[in-house]
Amino acid sequence: MGSRWQATLRRGLRLAAVVLALGLPLRADTQAATSSEPSEQPIDLVHVASVVGPAQGPRLTAGALEAEAQRVGALLRCPVCQGLSVADSPSTMATNMRQQVRDMVAAGFVEEQVLAYFEASYGEFVRLQPPLRGVNWLVWLAPLLGLLAGGAIVFFVLRGPRGGAQTPVGPGPVGSQGSVTAPVSHTAAPDTAVEADALPDDAELARLVLRIREIAYGWPGGVRPRAKEQA
Amino acid sequence: MNRRVLVAGLAVTLPLVALLVVSLGRDPHRMDAPLVGRPAPPFALRPAGGGQPVTLESLRGRPVLVNFWATWCVPCFQEHPVLTAGSRRYPDVAFLGVVYEDEEPRVQRYLREQGGAYPSLMDDGGKTAIAYGVYGVPETYAIAPDGTIVDKHTGPLTDGRLRALVDKARIGAMVGQGSQ
Repeated sequence: MGSRWQATLRRGLRLAAVVLALGLPLRADTQAATSSEPSEQPIDLVHVASVVGPAQGPRLTAGALEAEAQRVGALLRCPVCQGLSVADSPSTMATNMRQQVRDMVAAGFVEEQVLAYFEASYGEFVRLQPPLRGVNWLVWLAPLLGLLAGGAIVFFVLRGPRGGAQTPVGPGPVGSQGSVTAPVSHTAAPDTAVEADALPDDAELARLVLRIREIAYGWPGGVRPRAKEQA
Repeated sequence: MNRRVLVAGLAVTLPLVALLVVSLGRDPHRMDAPLVGRPAPPFALRPAGGGQPVTLESLRGRPVLVNFWATWCVPCFQEHPVLTAGSRRYPDVAFLGVVYEDEEPRVQRYLREQGGAYPSLMDDGGKTAIAYGVYGVPETYAIAPDGTIVDKHTGPLTDGRLRALVDKARIGAMVGQGSQ
């Protein structure tokens, strides 16, 4: 009972001091005081505005307020947790931060302002999504670049060097194409390993298979070395 | 051909390994303090046990040390004697405790048992801790007489570190006056 009266008095004194000191319209602070009922301390609108500028959005209430506070809270990292957002963490710190987010959203501060306020005191780390600036571009672009580079490498490796030194693979039936594989697979005793080396009929495909064997197994020209010896 | 694969593989993996090695040397819990060099967030908080709210504004013109602490925090217990002795040794500096995530009766009992030499303020709802970017306790902020945060210390204070914070808070004054 006493503490509630004290709290009200404190709020009143604080409000009066702020209004007197800065000559701000009374309406704004009355709203802040009423919009933050669950918190003992109303947010210091003057301080918040000095950090992120005046509120840029409409004041929110009820369902819209809860939804927006939840959405923005999910973009903030809980500083005392391991990779949890403020919206997801049960810690006291996250609870306090949620209340701060809620108060700011209720007072009309938009997402970017809320994030900027926390960033001002905690640093960029507090944002769960690094903003697109400076080195952070790498975080967004590196995966895409990696994918493109990987695709390019696969493409060029499979295509092989133009006019390279390895055995040229001409068109025609597979059995007759290489002077090396033909005698082994048809005249020598059945060798399962060598049988497994059989090539597809399609010349282009066969060339690719040889190329891949050359890369993967290090066989010169994509031909099993032992098979070469036998030949 | 295998050499080409090797070179390509190294080109991809070496930078990643280098990044890993560099990052392993960094403490993931060491946070930057973006507020150092910026105006200290204002506050008006009531002392534990009652009394008039103390504002940072009212201390303008004096070096200030703001120590965030809690009764459940062991390092805070360790640094408590350093702070109480310091507040007597440096009477020109205003020492303030800000209680972080704790209950008032516990704070009052703690201060009765351990002795308190300066006000400890109740930060209900933690808005002040958020404004200062407090990650955990103890954290101590040195504020120059012009209201600028000049340094921040994370973890328990030693006599030497306290002395350094006090000096910085005082020198901040000279720098501030010099630039005016």
